[in-house]
Amino acid sequence: MRQHLLTILILLPVLGTMVAVAYSFAPRRQDDHYKWIALAVTILTFALSLLLVGGVGAAEFRFEENVNWIGAIGARYHLGVDGISLWLVLLTTLLMPIAILSSWTAIAKRQLSYYVFLLLLEGAMIGVFVSLDLLLFYLFFEASLVPMFFLIGIWGGERRIYAAVKFFIYTSVGSLLMLVGIIALYFIYGTFDYAAILAAMSAQPALLSPNAEFWLFLAFAFAFCIKIPLFPLHTWLPDAHTEAPTAGSVILAGVLLKMGTYGLLRFNLGLFPNMSRQFAWIMITLAVVGIIYGALVAMVQPDVKRLVAYSSVSHMGFVVLGLFSFTEFGMQGALYQMLNHGVSTGALFLFVGFIYERRHTRLITDFGGLATPMPWFSSLFVFASLSSIGLPFLNGFVGEFLIMLGSWTSNAIQHSWTATMLAATGMIWAAVYMLWMLQRVVFGKVTNPANATLPDLSAREIGLLLPLLILMLVMGVFPRPFLDRSKASVEAVRARVAAPPTGGSFAGNKPAGAQVEPRDLSFNALEGGH
Amino acid sequence: MHENNLLSLIIFAPLGGAAINWFIGRRLRNEKIIGIIACSSVGISTIIAFYLAFNSNGALRSTEPILDHLWTWIQVGRFRADFGLALDRLSGTYALFVTFVGFLIHVFAVGYMHGDSGFYRFFAYLNLFMFAMLTLILADNFLLMFVGWEGVGLCSYLLIGYYTDRKEAGDAAKKAFITNRVGDWGFVLGLMLVFFLTGSISFFAKPEHGVISALQAFAGMSADPFTWKALFAGGATSVAILLFIGAAGKSAQIPLYVWLPDAMAGPTPVSALIHAATMVTAGVYMIVRCSAIYTHAPTAMFTVAIIGAATAIFAATIGLAQNDIKKVLAYSTVSQLGYMFLACGVGAFVAAIFHVITHAFFKALLFLGSGSVIHGMHHEQDMRRMGGLRKYMPITFATMLTGWLAISGIPIFAGFFSKDEILWKTWSAGEFSLPSLIWSKALWFVGAITALLTAVYMTRMMVMTFWGSERFREKDIDHHEEGDAAQARHNVHEPHESPWVMTVPLIVLAVLSTVGGFIGVPYALGSLFSDHPVNYIEQTLEPVISHDPVSVPHVEGSHAVDEMQWLSPKPQQLDGPPAVHALEGPEAASAEHAHSPEEIRQERLLALVSVLIAAFGIGFGWLIFQKRPLLQMPRILENKYYVDEIYDATIINPMEGLSREGLWKLFDVGVIDGFLHALGDAVTEGGRLVRHMQGGFVRSYAAIILIGALVLIGFFAYFGAHALGLPR
Repeated sequence: MRQHLLTILILLPVLGTMVAVAYSFAPRRQDDHYKWIALAVTILTFALSLLLVGGVGAAEFRFEENVNWIGAIGARYHLGVDGISLWLVLLTTLLMPIAILSSWTAIAKRQLSYYVFLLLLEGAMIGVFVSLDLLLFYLFFEASLVPMFFLIGIWGGERRIYAAVKFFIYTSVGSLLMLVGIIALYFIYGTFDYAAILAAMSAQPALLSPNAEFWLFLAFAFAFCIKIPLFPLHTWLPDAHTEAPTAGSVILAGVLLKMGTYGLLRFNLGLFPNMSRQFAWIMITLAVVGIIYGALVAMVQPDVKRLVAYSSVSHMGFVVLGLFSFTEFGMQGALYQMLNHGVSTGALFLFVGFIYERRHTRLITDFGGLATPMPWFSSLFVFASLSSIGLPFLNGFVGEFLIMLGSWTSNAIQHSWTATMLAATGMIWAAVYMLWMLQRVVFGKVTNPANATLPDLSAREIGLLLPLLILMLVMGVFPRPFLDRSKASVEAVRARVAAPPTGGSFAGNKPAGAQVEPRDLSFNALEGGH
Repeated sequence: MHENNLLSLIIFAPLGGAAINWFIGRRLRNEKIIGIIACSSVGISTIIAFYLAFNSNGALRSTEPILDHLWTWIQVGRFRADFGLALDRLSGTYALFVTFVGFLIHVFAVGYMHGDSGFYRFFAYLNLFMFAMLTLILADNFLLMFVGWEGVGLCSYLLIGYYTDRKEAGDAAKKAFITNRVGDWGFVLGLMLVFFLTGSISFFAKPEHGVISALQAFAGMSADPFTWKALFAGGATSVAILLFIGAAGKSAQIPLYVWLPDAMAGPTPVSALIHAATMVTAGVYMIVRCSAIYTHAPTAMFTVAIIGAATAIFAATIGLAQNDIKKVLAYSTVSQLGYMFLACGVGAFVAAIFHVITHAFFKALLFLGSGSVIHGMHHEQDMRRMGGLRKYMPITFATMLTGWLAISGIPIFAGFFSKDEILWKTWSAGEFSLPSLIWSKALWFVGAITALLTAVYMTRMMVMTFWGSERFREKDIDHHEEGDAAQARHNVHEPHESPWVMTVPLIVLAVLSTVGGFIGVPYALGSLFSDHPVNYIEQTLEPVISHDPVSVPHVEGSHAVDEMQWLSPKPQQLDGPPAVHALEGPEAASAEHAHSPEEIRQERLLALVSVLIAAFGIGFGWLIFQKRPLLQMPRILENKYYVDEIYDATIINPMEGLSREGLWKLFDVGVIDGFLHALGDAVTEGGRLVRHMQGGFVRSYAAIILIGALVLIGFFAYFGAHALGLPR
């Protein structure tokens, strides 16, 4: 079974949809049973995905499957998982049962198709993270769009059609460009296989002209930056998040956004290291702008869900900043921050979903003083918010700190200290918008009588939060098991992208820092460009 | 250097207490058990701290820190942050008074919070605070210190906002956290710069783990010269300034002090513990811990001194005009913290710590005393509605009396020695951290004026509270716009003395405020009464701090120190040229520094001046406020120089307006989405135009085909096939 584990992980949810559909023809079916089927399938998937953990650690891909798919064009069914994708797969499989539990009572209409779409989405998302064939990757990347489109468009809020269409067009425009890029790569290297292309690149570096690399980088980056979303390509996100059902938001924030940063790490940095270096200053600038911009806009949102959505723009900016620092700290931190964001923001969307389910409004002004009727909700909400703020010993801090350390010590751009200092203000802004929101939602007197008698969290709701809350603490206090497993894979990408500069603007910029023997502290640094 | 696993129990005992109270106390609803759990968990920490500090191999006796390496928290590449604790002389001293004062305040709080519906929650937070504070103190590296640093900030946030139904409490809590975050920005960047420069973030060398000490690395560097450019050079000065930004946030210095007065919205034991005795001095602790960095950054030290002195006098003037008893004490705290930073800035790190300790005693006493008054007055905090309370609350009165004398700087009481030490060190500060010696006199003058103001406003507070007519009986003294409910409430009850759980901690603290100063009697004064005076605090702490190259350490009454293994290298071992060339070699200075009779005479004279200032301040305050306790103070002082309003108008409101109108509505919705919608509309419109071609008439299709064919054929006919690169 182990050699087909990845295929099983992808197909199990698809199988689950078939079971659900088959059940719908059963003579005495009940609509309430679909969610049980979905829950069972996703929990089984999660349990199986845990088997991956033991096998991954080194730089190369494990659990590989490599068979012919479309022989005529050399497309292969090539799957594999390494330290980078391992945790993202686990994040996907973990968030899925939670998303299904969060829909338990919220989704009443068309349950069969709802859970079918969720399961299909899971299969597609796992496929994205384990595909090692570009065409296959593209297939899964696009396939994940469709279920999410329907989830938003059918079970969403008032402006769901607008949001769904915006989401779909925005992201598919990006991925179509990527498809062009993939085909171009095929014409250059004659294969879609990631590993084969990598090997060919190092064997014949001249094959890829700088001009071609430039356009290819852009094509891929465009697709991924929309997905992340990187400022200024982010405007689909608040709409999609706000209108999506809770489970949709959780999956969207938790997993779908990570496809963008995963793609940047795997494909842009991996395949086009030279262009990555050249584009680093643009990407870092956009990331830093996004960090501050997202936070400032989040601060003034009247809608809790929109606030969390904009905070995602800010947090994902950190991830991009870390990736393009080309340092081990920054890239490891970026990968870690992807997981953190999935856990923390996923949890925040759950909290928003809980009060939406109770009050059918998400406007901050409609709430206030929830601590009195809902003490459990309030305590846990504050806890999750603190994780999002980046309080040390909760998960967010480790990622953000490593990213900032990475960008601080980075050679990728000229003014890395300035960039870091600006990015670090994100810490302040995060506190501003989260605490201000908390104060208006959770604390104070109960001003609206409709809030006075709200029921506190049910056992199901606490239960589905618990794994995320525990993870926040564990990932904050013991990050090493996570970081150690991804170390070798991240280092492999970093080694490619941070190849020793050949002079020019990179040379002599900054000492490697951190030598054991301390530097003379006088004015070298000033002349050194900082 | 030895390991001792007991050390971790100091921090984990309060954490356990917090967890028990949080999960079980909620169900118990039994104040006695909750109180015992909370107090005993801190009690355990206290006992262990004392044991580890004073046993035969204890931290305060030994020259090497006691370490406890628990696990490696983060390790990526060369970067390594341990969860490791260290008890050396500095953290040992700190841990002693934090645990002990913390314990007393816990006991006091059991009485003060009696009957509160969130009793368990309060003590869970308070214990969690002790955990965070002790983590901050005992951390053996910058990052773990930052964990405690943020942790105390979190607990401060939770406890300021403890009364969740009061809006001002929520506002104050948010303000405290965010202002602290601004400071943390500096801390994190400073930390990263330390790592960048030294490759380590550890305070101590741990060879068995392959960890070197960042501070020792700094001690081995040459000092940055005194220039403002050095601030941005990315060297020791930059590190020191960034860290000081962090310290200014946590320890409420200009311009980040605004949160501390508002923080008084929390319960009074919280104000005593967090916002007077322990947490707000964390900035001072951090700077003293990093003395090796600061003594290589004269510009940074000068900045610290200036900010400290400015804060001291600025807050003292505001304190003169406050009518809320806790607000007076809050501004007093800000002002005293300013003293401590002034001391750090002139290189008197030991004096700073000494003042931290005595301040912890007398300010905790004063806050708890005010808590007792508030408790006895049934939650009345306005001093204009007090008066004559000494008859009703004799123990509170007597204990606060010692606190008053201590903070005013009357000899024998603890505050005198520490404040005098700071003033003396400021007066005699060398040229290292100050651009010229005039500055030392100017800073001393500011400090002396502050001392005068301190005596005046504390006298005002005491007089308004304990002497004069019993204004709480008067009905229509309403200066405030508070509702009638408060009026009615406080008229019903007579003031009463507090129960023993509250008065016993007061008495203990009063004793400490009286005699606590004897641990640091300077040679100049001690030699008046004894042949071999011992300055315990200096003797203990000198070995663990660094010195600037000018004022070289001299430990009074002890030569054992010379044989010690220095934790940070001796300043004499500095390599590289001296920073300021005008100076003589440090060795020459050190020989002369040792208690020349001239200096002793000067120091005694200055002490006398301090005493006179304090006495004058008290007398002046007494004369004025005894007669007219309700004297209207200047409006600008009463309104705190309108700093909050200025911040609102210049930073907060523009920021919010810009974000809402500019970034969100104009840019996000208007420009980006507007562009996209325009694009979408253009496509739709284009489609609508093209749609007319698809009319469904075969004739028009035929015409279109014909036109298309003509265009294609015409193209190839004109350019020829080779234009497309096709083979002929």
